[in-house]
Amino acid sequence: MTNSRTGLLTKLGIRPNELALVIAIVTIIGVTLGADTNRSYWFQWETNSIEIGRQTALLGIFALGAMMVIVSGGIDLSSGSMIAFSGTVIACSMIYLQYGPLGNYLFPLVVDAAGKSGPTDMAHAGLMVQTLVVVASIAMGLTSGFFVGTLHAWLITSIRLPPFVATLSTLVGLRSMARILCEYTTSTYQNSKKAQVNIDHPFFTWLRDSKHVYLWVLVFLVLATLTWVILSRTVLGRHIYALGGNEQAAKLSGIRTDRLKWFAYVFGAMTASLASVFYLANEGVCAPVNQGRGHELNAIAAAVVGGCSLQGGIGTVTGTILGALFLRIVIDSVSKIIKSGADIWEGLIVGIVVVLAVTFSQLQQLRGSGKRLFPGALGVCAMITLSLFAGLIAMSTRGEKQAAITMISVLAALFVYGLTEKQKTRG
Amino acid sequence: MADPIVSLRKIRKTFPGVQALSDVSFDIARGELHAICGENGAGKSTLMKILSGVIGDYDGELHVAGNRVQFQGTRDAESASISIIHQELNLVEQLSVAANIFLGRELRNSMGLRSDGAMERAAKKLLEDLETDIDPRALAGGLRVGDQQLVEIAKALSLNSQILIMDEPTSALTESEVARLYRVIAKLRERGATILYISHKMDEVFQLSNRITVLRDGCFICTLETSETNANEITKWMVGREIDSLDLDGRSSPGDVLLEVKKLSMAWPGHARGYRLKDVSFHLRRGEVLGIAGLMGAGRTELMECLFGASEHPVHGQMLLDGKPYCPSHPAEACNAGIGLVTEDRKRLGIFPAMNVGQNISICSLESTLRAGLLSHKLEHDTSSSMISKLQVKTASLESAITSLSGGNQQKCIVGRWLLTHPKILLLDDPTRGVDVGAKSELYRLINRLCQDGLGVIVTSSELPELLTLSDRILVLSEGRMTAEFRREDATQEKIMHAATQ
Repeated sequence: MTNSRTGLLTKLGIRPNELALVIAIVTIIGVTLGADTNRSYWFQWETNSIEIGRQTALLGIFALGAMMVIVSGGIDLSSGSMIAFSGTVIACSMIYLQYGPLGNYLFPLVVDAAGKSGPTDMAHAGLMVQTLVVVASIAMGLTSGFFVGTLHAWLITSIRLPPFVATLSTLVGLRSMARILCEYTTSTYQNSKKAQVNIDHPFFTWLRDSKHVYLWVLVFLVLATLTWVILSRTVLGRHIYALGGNEQAAKLSGIRTDRLKWFAYVFGAMTASLASVFYLANEGVCAPVNQGRGHELNAIAAAVVGGCSLQGGIGTVTGTILGALFLRIVIDSVSKIIKSGADIWEGLIVGIVVVLAVTFSQLQQLRGSGKRLFPGALGVCAMITLSLFAGLIAMSTRGEKQAAITMISVLAALFVYGLTEKQKTRG
Repeated sequence: MADPIVSLRKIRKTFPGVQALSDVSFDIARGELHAICGENGAGKSTLMKILSGVIGDYDGELHVAGNRVQFQGTRDAESASISIIHQELNLVEQLSVAANIFLGRELRNSMGLRSDGAMERAAKKLLEDLETDIDPRALAGGLRVGDQQLVEIAKALSLNSQILIMDEPTSALTESEVARLYRVIAKLRERGATILYISHKMDEVFQLSNRITVLRDGCFICTLETSETNANEITKWMVGREIDSLDLDGRSSPGDVLLEVKKLSMAWPGHARGYRLKDVSFHLRRGEVLGIAGLMGAGRTELMECLFGASEHPVHGQMLLDGKPYCPSHPAEACNAGIGLVTEDRKRLGIFPAMNVGQNISICSLESTLRAGLLSHKLEHDTSSSMISKLQVKTASLESAITSLSGGNQQKCIVGRWLLTHPKILLLDDPTRGVDVGAKSELYRLINRLCQDGLGVIVTSSELPELLTLSDRILVLSEGRMTAEFRREDATQEKIMHAATQ
C-alpha cells in the first residue's frame, strides 16, 4: 500500500515531504479561515495574497542561496548581514553616483548630449541618468555578493576554517562594515553622518507599489528555475550533490571540490545581494544596523523545512520554495488569529516549525531506535521546560489564569506520556 | 599449564557477512609473554577486543583467573585487571599526562573536590617506575608517540593490571624507544605481569616471547614454545590460507610500459620512521596486473594515493605515464590522464549514499551525457544501464538506493564508474574487502577481462592468495620500503610473508 503510493508519487516527481508541505499549507489556510474572527483570508484575499507573495519572494530568494550552500555540505550564517551590506553598497553607490565626483563628471555629459537634440529629450535624459544610477548601483551590490562569497570560499578551502566559523565572523563583521561605509559616504557626500539612508529613488518606490509585486514573485520564480536547472540538469549541480553527500569520495572521483564550494558560497552571497534590492524597496530605507537582522536563520529554516539535510547532499528547489511559503503562511496566519504584530511571533514560530519539521523527518528513526523521548532527570526537566513555554505563550494571549491551567495540563499530559513510554521500554 | 590466568574456550564472533572468529580455544599461562601472530584479518584484533571488553556479545567461554567472565565494557575488563594498549593510542590530547592516567577515576581530596596535586604526584611515581622523566603536567598531545605509549602503560600500571595486551606497540617507535620499551616489558614481567603481545615482526616476537599462538582466518592454528620453533615455521602457519582455485587464462603477454615510477618517496612528518614511502620504483605494462602486498601500515594505500594525486603530503620522485612526466596534484589531473582509483574504504571514500545506483555509476563521466550543455537523463540512464548489464550488477533498478546493494555489487558499480571514463590504468585498493566469496571470483574474472582489453591494473590486497591468483607480478612493501618483487611463477605465500615481515 505504502509502496504503491510512494511509487505513484515518484512517477509524478513529487517527494513525500513536499506533498506533506502542500497539505500542511492548505490545512493552515483552512484553519485560519475558521479561527480568524475577521475572516481576513476570505474578505481581503487579494491584499493577503499580495502580502504573502511579497514576503515569500523576499525570503525565498536568499533561501535558495542558503539551500545551495547546505546541499554542498556547508552552511552560510551571514546572509542576513550580507543583505544589510549589499543594501548599503547599493544605497552608497547611488549617493556616490549622484553627488560624487564621477557622477558630477559623467551625467552632465548625458544631459548635454540630450539638450542638443531638443527640450523634449531633457526629460528623457533625466530618466536615463536615473536608470544608469540604479543599474550601476545594483550591479555594485551584486558584485559585493560575489566578493563576500569568494571570501567565504577562500577562508573555508584555503585557510581551512569550518564554514560555521567563517560565515559567523562575516555575520558579525559585514554588518559593522555596512555601518562604517554608510557613515563614511553620508558624511563625505551629504555633509552629515547618518546611520541610515532613505531610499527615495523612483525605481525603488515603483518597485514597492503593491501593483508591482508580481515582479517580486517573477524574479523569485526565475531564480528558482535557474537554480533548478543548475541542480538537476548540469554537471555542476550533480557534483554539488556529490560534494555534500560525501566530500572525500567526491574528491577521489576527480571532482574539484574547492571550485564547487566557491560556486556555492558565491551563489549564496549573491542571492542575498539580490534580496537586498527588494529589502530596500520593501522598507524604503537602507538601515545597516538592523536590515535583515536574524533573517539568515529564516532562510536556513526554509531550506530545512523544505527537506534539506544539514549534513549536505540532500535538498530540492521545490522543497525550498514550499518551505519558504509554509514559513510565511504560518507567520501570517498566527498574526491573523492572534491579531498582534507578526514580527513578535516570527522567531518563536520559526523555531517551533524547524524543530517540528526535523523531528517529523526523524520520527521513524526515533521510534526504531527504541530510545525514550523523555529519559530520566533530563526528560523530567525537559517536560517542565516545555510546559513553562506553553504557559508563557498562554499568558500573553489569554491571561495569567489561563496560563496556569495550560501549564499544568501540558505538564500532566507529558508526564502521562513519559510514564507510558517507561512502561513500554520495560515490557 | 596447571594454572592458566586466561583461558579461552570456543570463542566465536560473527560480523555481518564475516566469521571473524570461529571456535578459538587456548590458554595463557600466568606470568608469560604470549605472542599472537597472524595475517591481516586473521582475527587478532577481534580477539583482543573481546579480552579487553570492547566487544561484549560473542559465543563461547572466557575464564580469567579461574572465573567465568563476559565483559560488557572496558571497565569490566579493567576490574578483572586486564588493560589494553591500543595501536592507535587512546589519549585525550588536550589533557595533561596525569589527567589522562586517571581519566574516569579521578582522585579526590577530603572535600570531594578533584585533586590535581594528588594525581600529579601519583603519576610522577608511576612514570619514574618506568624510567622516564615525562612531566605529569605536560599535555598528552605534545608528547612523542613513544612517550604517549609509556603514558598508556603507566595508566595500566595505575590500574594494577595483571594482564597487559600490547597491540603492535613498536610500530611507531624509534630504535632507542624500542629498546626502552623492552626494558619496561622486562620490568613488568619481574613484577609478575602477564603480557599478550601482538606483532608482525618476527625478530621481536622471538626476542621477547615465551610462547607464540598463530591465528588464521579466525581460527586457532597452533600454540608453540618459542624455543622450539623458528620464524620460517611461524610464517608458514600464518599463510596457509586457501581459496577456491580459479582459472584465469586467456591473457596475452603484457604490452608496452604504461607507467614507470622511479624512487617515489613520501614524508611522514612527526613520525619516528620519518617516511610513509621510501624509494619505491616499479613499472606497469599494458594488459598487466601488478599486485602490491604488504601488511597493515606498509604503505599500500599511500602508494595508491601518490599515483592518483590524492596524497596529503608532498611526494618526491619521478613518474612517467606513457613516457611523459606525470605528477598529479589533484585527483582530477589523474582522471584526465586516464587513471582511476577504486578506494579501499568503500563506504567512506567510494559511494555517495544519498544518490541512486545510476547516479553513482555516472558521476565521473557526466560530460559524456550532455546534450546542449545540459544533462540528458536519458543518455545518463542508457550509459549507466549498459554498465550494469556489462558488469552484471544485481540491482532492482537504476533508481534503487546504492546502500541497498550488497558489498560486491556496490564495488562493481564503482569499478563501472571508472570504466566509463575509459581509463588506461585502474588502481584497485583491496577491492574485495567485505565482499562475499561468490562476488569475489566474479570480480577476479572482471579484472582479468579488463586486462585482456589492454588496461593496466594495480591491485593491493590483504589476502595473499588473491594476489597470487590475480597478479602477473607482485611487489612487497614493508614499512614504506619495497622489500621484494616476484613474478607470479616464482611467488609463494611464504616468500611474500617473509619479505613483508622484514
